[in-house]
Amino acid sequence: MIELLVLLVIGAPAAAGVAAWFADARRAPWLAAAGLGASIVAGIVLAVLVFASGPIRAFDGLVAIDAFGAYMLVLVLVVAGIALAGSPAHIAHEMHTGGLRPHDAGRYYALLVWFAAGLAAVPLLDNLGLVWVGIEATTIVSALLVGFSRTPQAIEAAWKYLILGSIGIGFALLGTLLVYASSVGVLGEGVLGETHDALAWTRLVSIAPALDPAFVRLAFIFALAGYGTKAGLAPFHTWLPDAHSQAPSPISAMLSGAALAVSLYALARFHLIATGTLGPAFSSTLLVVFGLFSLAVALPFIVAQSDLKRLLAYSSIEHLGLAALALGFGGHLALLGFTLHLASHGLAKSTAFLSAGQLVAERGTRRIGRLGGSLARSPADGRALLVAALVLAGLPPSGIFVAELAILFGGVATGWGLAAGLAALILALAVAGLLFHVVRIAVGPAGRRVESGPASPRPSIAHAFLLTVPLTVVVVAGLWTPSPLAAAFDQVVRVLGGGGG
Amino acid sequence: MTFDPRTVAEVVDACAAVIVVLGVLLAATRSIGRSIWMVALQSAFVGLAALTVGLGTGTTHLVFGGLLAIGAKGIVVPLVLGLILRRSSVRVERHLLVGPRVLLVAAVAIVFASASAADDVSSAAGVAASRVLPAAISQVLMGLLIVMTRRKALSLVVGLLVFENGIALTAFSLSYGMPLVVELGILFDVLIAVVVAWIYARRMLDVFGSTSTDELRSLRG
Repeated sequence: MIELLVLLVIGAPAAAGVAAWFADARRAPWLAAAGLGASIVAGIVLAVLVFASGPIRAFDGLVAIDAFGAYMLVLVLVVAGIALAGSPAHIAHEMHTGGLRPHDAGRYYALLVWFAAGLAAVPLLDNLGLVWVGIEATTIVSALLVGFSRTPQAIEAAWKYLILGSIGIGFALLGTLLVYASSVGVLGEGVLGETHDALAWTRLVSIAPALDPAFVRLAFIFALAGYGTKAGLAPFHTWLPDAHSQAPSPISAMLSGAALAVSLYALARFHLIATGTLGPAFSSTLLVVFGLFSLAVALPFIVAQSDLKRLLAYSSIEHLGLAALALGFGGHLALLGFTLHLASHGLAKSTAFLSAGQLVAERGTRRIGRLGGSLARSPADGRALLVAALVLAGLPPSGIFVAELAILFGGVATGWGLAAGLAALILALAVAGLLFHVVRIAVGPAGRRVESGPASPRPSIAHAFLLTVPLTVVVVAGLWTPSPLAAAFDQVVRVLGGGGG
Repeated sequence: MTFDPRTVAEVVDACAAVIVVLGVLLAATRSIGRSIWMVALQSAFVGLAALTVGLGTGTTHLVFGGLLAIGAKGIVVPLVLGLILRRSSVRVERHLLVGPRVLLVAAVAIVFASASAADDVSSAAGVAASRVLPAAISQVLMGLLIVMTRRKALSLVVGLLVFENGIALTAFSLSYGMPLVVELGILFDVLIAVVVAWIYARRMLDVFGSTSTDELRSLRG
């Protein structure tokens, strides 16, 4: 039963991708939707099972899902679902303007669902080596998607992403190796390499106090550099604004909302092992330092940004920095904030990218100064972008507002007062910057070049629905959390706090 | 079939020495064609070292891993790279960030620095093959040096492969390799990454007319 569900989560989108690759532009989205839909249903069932009756193991220990993994699985699949639902509009526009050839549509959908399958596989695997393989696989597939439009800028972004991503992820592999080496003395030389549970994080966490501290310290540093690169933590973030702004908008949504979170997930597993071996001080301090640095680096680029999609990309660096900060702070309150924050950010950022993508497609520019008056010109997308940006800025009421408060107060409570204060200051400045830009886009002047093109077609009800529902969820999450969800979040926090399932 | 442990150690040490020498030459060469076959040779020696230890200790997964590494990174990947080179008009890395003589000095410095750095770790952890770890660390750094100083797409991929060889050798010297599932996954990922790099190198040829990353300067801020 559980084996079947796990197979469905990964196998259904993988198989649907193969079918979509060869399908024509009309059938491909339905094939992709069928595969990803099955995966989402199976993933949610698995998560409910985990939250209701504790961690799940399957496939002879190769798969282990605890509350944190289940949470990440659902987050990734939901964001992928949003991105897939937003894709037909994007593809139709690209086909119309001649940016894509007819057979490209099938390949796009195939790569999208493979990307989703890779992301969903990572939180299921109980093996740090295979977690690495999964994240590297998503890097490769998404590199193909980043350069999908074949414009010179897109090729440049994809190339940077591929090279910097490969080097970064190489460091993560070194970190994985060093954890492996640190366990040699504990697990016994004889079994090493023969069994796959030698790299199982469930085992590594439970034997963490006995691991070789010198190796674990180095391992965490390499994992931080490696998965930090993939999670967009400064100073390893330089690929991110290019890749996230040049990718097709639905892919930007997946990269920002899901791929960054999955990389942070991998880093969090290393953090739990390092905390078990070295005590909380070492890895927490590093996470706080790099989190704060990411916030500080993103701020000027948010304030002085002139490109809408790059603005959203830098906002992702800011938010992932905040999430790393929350992990570093530790403590119940900050970790609860972390849990709420990543989920809210995933939903809000993916909506923001989808609506921004539509605006950019309609107006033929991504320059903020030329996108003014979007609220009047394209109400559905303009409104969604405005609300999403207000939510991402952290204004109440929203899940992100509550999460940010929880993280900052949690930081003060666990003795990181100075770091929390600095973070609060940077966040406040970023709010001002983000608001300035989105208000300009919403009601500002339309810019010098007034296009006389045909008015945009009325958005479909499905599109409006797609833009409204995730944002509504995020806004409501700032006011009220249903008790089953609160209980689930509590379980995630317990895992992150090192208390096991 | 097992070998005498002393023979195994000698073969592995010799492999490590060849790998280091090839790394230094790779860092200093301007010819892209030569760097492709040198990195192929280097990958083959990494595989050979794994194969020898696998046969010597009777560890089947190391034998598999070594053979796969020789086949994939020693033969398939260089062939793919050679195909791109044949289509490209650029055969020489003309604009190195610093001159080849400086690179040669930097590469030798890396080798010595790695040797002294690895001394502490290997004596602390009792690593089996004492000369492999310094060689491994030096190749990780050498790969970074190559990536940082080159501008052509193919040279960057060669740098990544040297970096990868360093990591593979680290894996092998610290813990006699990873579990086979993981090793397979890693090899598969490397292969696909090279294929994707190939795809993008071809697109760069189509769009920019060259595979020089000098053209890639429009994204800023």
